[in-house]
Amino acid sequence: MSGHHISSSKFLWAIGSALFFLTFLTVAVTWYHIPSPWNVIVAIGIASLKAMIVISFFMNLWWDTKFNAMLFVTSIIFFGLLIGITLLDTLFRTDPVPAF
Amino acid sequence: MSDTSAVKERPKHLKHYFVDSDQQFEASKMGMWVFLVTEILFFGGLFAAYIVYRAWYPDLYLQASTELDTFWGTVNTAVLIGSSLTVAMAIRSAQLNQIKGLIINLWITISLACVFMMIKYFEYTHKFHKGIFPGEYYTYEGIAHEKANIFFSIYYMMTGLHGVHVIIGIGLMLFLVYKAKKGAFSSEYYTPVEITGLYWHLVDVIWIFLFPLLYLID
Amino acid sequence: MATTDAQNIRRLQVQRFKPDESPKEHYLNAEKGIWSWLTTVDHKRIGLMYLASIAFFFLVGGILALVLRTELLTPARNFIDANTYNQVFTLHGAIMIFFFLVPSVPAALGNFILPLQLGAKDVAFPRLNLASFYIYTLGSIFTLIAIFTGGIDTGWTFYTPYSAETSTNVMMMTLGIFILGFSSILTGVNFIVTIHKMRAPGLTWNKLPLNIWALYATSIIQVLATPVLAITVLLLAMERALGIGIFDPALGGDPVLYQHFFWFYSHPAVYIMIVPGFGVISEVISTFSRKTIFGYWAIALSSLAIAFIGFLVWGHHMFTAGQSSLASMVFSFLTFLVGIPTGIKIFNWLATMYKGSIDMKTPMLYAMVFLFLFTIGGFTGIMLGALVVDIHLHDTYYVVAHFHYVMMGGMVMAFLAGVHYWWPKMFGKMYSEFWAKIACGIIFIGFNMTFLPQFIMGSQGMPRRYYNYIDQFQPFHQFSTIGAYTLGVGFLIIAAYLIHSLLKGKEAGSNPWGSRALEWQTSSPAPHHNFDHTPVIINGPYDYHKPMSEFQLGIAQSHNGHHKDEKVDVETGTAQEKA
Repeated sequence: MSGHHISSSKFLWAIGSALFFLTFLTVAVTWYHIPSPWNVIVAIGIASLKAMIVISFFMNLWWDTKFNAMLFVTSIIFFGLLIGITLLDTLFRTDPVPAF
Repeated sequence: MSDTSAVKERPKHLKHYFVDSDQQFEASKMGMWVFLVTEILFFGGLFAAYIVYRAWYPDLYLQASTELDTFWGTVNTAVLIGSSLTVAMAIRSAQLNQIKGLIINLWITISLACVFMMIKYFEYTHKFHKGIFPGEYYTYEGIAHEKANIFFSIYYMMTGLHGVHVIIGIGLMLFLVYKAKKGAFSSEYYTPVEITGLYWHLVDVIWIFLFPLLYLID
Repeated sequence: MATTDAQNIRRLQVQRFKPDESPKEHYLNAEKGIWSWLTTVDHKRIGLMYLASIAFFFLVGGILALVLRTELLTPARNFIDANTYNQVFTLHGAIMIFFFLVPSVPAALGNFILPLQLGAKDVAFPRLNLASFYIYTLGSIFTLIAIFTGGIDTGWTFYTPYSAETSTNVMMMTLGIFILGFSSILTGVNFIVTIHKMRAPGLTWNKLPLNIWALYATSIIQVLATPVLAITVLLLAMERALGIGIFDPALGGDPVLYQHFFWFYSHPAVYIMIVPGFGVISEVISTFSRKTIFGYWAIALSSLAIAFIGFLVWGHHMFTAGQSSLASMVFSFLTFLVGIPTGIKIFNWLATMYKGSIDMKTPMLYAMVFLFLFTIGGFTGIMLGALVVDIHLHDTYYVVAHFHYVMMGGMVMAFLAGVHYWWPKMFGKMYSEFWAKIACGIIFIGFNMTFLPQFIMGSQGMPRRYYNYIDQFQPFHQFSTIGAYTLGVGFLIIAAYLIHSLLKGKEAGSNPWGSRALEWQTSSPAPHHNFDHTPVIINGPYDYHKPMSEFQLGIAQSHNGHHKDEKVDVETGTAQEKA
């Protein structure tokens, strides 16, 4: 049977432990004052790492057909477009409204 | 009515429009991944609202997030990660034809999910007690920012929608337990377990982002 | 003959399977009774149920349009008051867009034809397909309830803060659209997986019909855009129910943010509406020019390009809304880009027809109408995309004329082309070619009478959604109303001869148009499981220079699915060539 990767019990527990550790790290990092915007970047960075681990090794994308990985990447790209282009508006509004 | 006809025994789970089990399994997995794409964009809208308002009112977010209990948020994160682990173990059990193991792991996952919802329940009621309600029902005086209701509206929408997805996941897994007890799954066919697992992992991933964005704004 | 490495080459001994010209059993009579229809998982029956539903909604939306146009005959009140007028145009828009256009080609025609064109027995998830249909039905029930319990008067765009505050039944309507969105999403999921996983042997990506490429691009848009609409209407519902306040300035929110979220879906939505139409046009023009399509990859990839670029331009609906000038300029620039892949298609279609053997049957006539009307619509879209021009034209009848030219002059004409093209495959009957062409002519005339004056009115300043107007616009409005009634007559004629075709139409053979496409290589109406063999593809979909027999190749199947008593002898050696 192709496409049926079976992870060993040890491997799954190792991934779980890594995730628990990273969760602890996420909280521990807030005990130190990191200047903005780096605090957000670190927080999102660790969260992204955790997410990538879940997606690659719990959701098995690491061993799955490339197309499914592309689906996931595509959703992130379009999510990025939604935020990025909206911010082009919301971050650049000047007061008062410029005259036409 | 010749007996030399080569009719292969088709497995019961194999639908007539698929050629073999592999094609069916791969198709179901791909279908679930496409659906997960829609879930990412669905929550993405809420994350977009979060980002837009955080960029406009960074102080609001700083102040308001002190109302969220970091300890219980961390516990909930660990609970969900644990449930991701156990659902992965459940899939592994199915792959190895260990149906008893499958059922046990599913029950553990369901229990962890219920623990998550219970903690959420206590978090919400604690806030309601203080007058922190969503939207126009917000009456809490403790935050000195005129847009405080906006932060909590976003908080309730994001965690509320996430909670709805957790409840749906619990329902799906209860259904899986029921089917597993009836002998529907084996190492030959465990597709519903696999795709429910994918759904559950995404619910976990979404929380992995919600947690620092809401609870750990320092 | 040199032998190549036999391990990597799987040889199929194919034979020719000529379709039955007069099938006794087909998908329409395979199972009997209304319950068999309501619980069917056959994509063809589901497609027909969608077709009936969208025809119903088109009728409702069309009647609403006639009500509007009748009221606009004079500036003063004719027979409805201003509040009712607001509700009528809101409903006209919402019903036409959400209940007719978005599902039209994908769900109705697409469901029917996609597996046939792929040589598959059904879509990847037939039960999900049926669920999609029932979700669509549930969403439409919510909408009908909304109409009868308070109505809605916000415009189909539900802009805040008015939509959060109006006393009309926005809640029911937004919930209806939320539910409807799932129908769209699940259809998209089904199509993407079916196209990837269930193509017949030999059907490589470079041999896919362009209709499939179009449905593929549409499904991608559906999957990526609809969830954002879902969260938008959910937030709007919460705004009304709980006063969430993200979009309402009175509660601290930003109404322009609503518009960003709304148009992030609704602009790609217009591509959901038109791209399947492009697919139909590719099929029709190639078949009725008896010629291979010009620029296959250009058309195929341009569908994907439109899908992608379509996500980058939503702010061109918001030039006057108060978004930053930076955003407006970026959106205007990107909007000009989106016209390029569409233009490529138009030129390729024209080049396909050049030196072809044109057979001006009804589907081809609609395709010609499409080319003319959609080009006008597309041009005027680019004109509106110019930032400075739009400041003057935004919210005028110019916009109304533009989108009716692309959506009705484009999409509805393509939809009619598709219906008239695949009608024989769906029902095994032909319709009256004479009346069909008459109706097409009446519709063409009626359409231009209705909407051409609206360009002029709009550029002179006539605002849209207005119940009153100044006297200088009256001749335009009256001319437009006469055109609307002409359109109505045309559609009634279509309904008449199509119903007549169902009852008394001439029997169509398997391939009345002489097309090379795969769906025509099986009998009409289609068999229950689409093909009685597994089709094998060796040629491109528009290779008219190859003989028809090469498009009817296949291998016998050892079973036909759930009919356990069917046994077919499968010889594992060579099969004889059937004459």
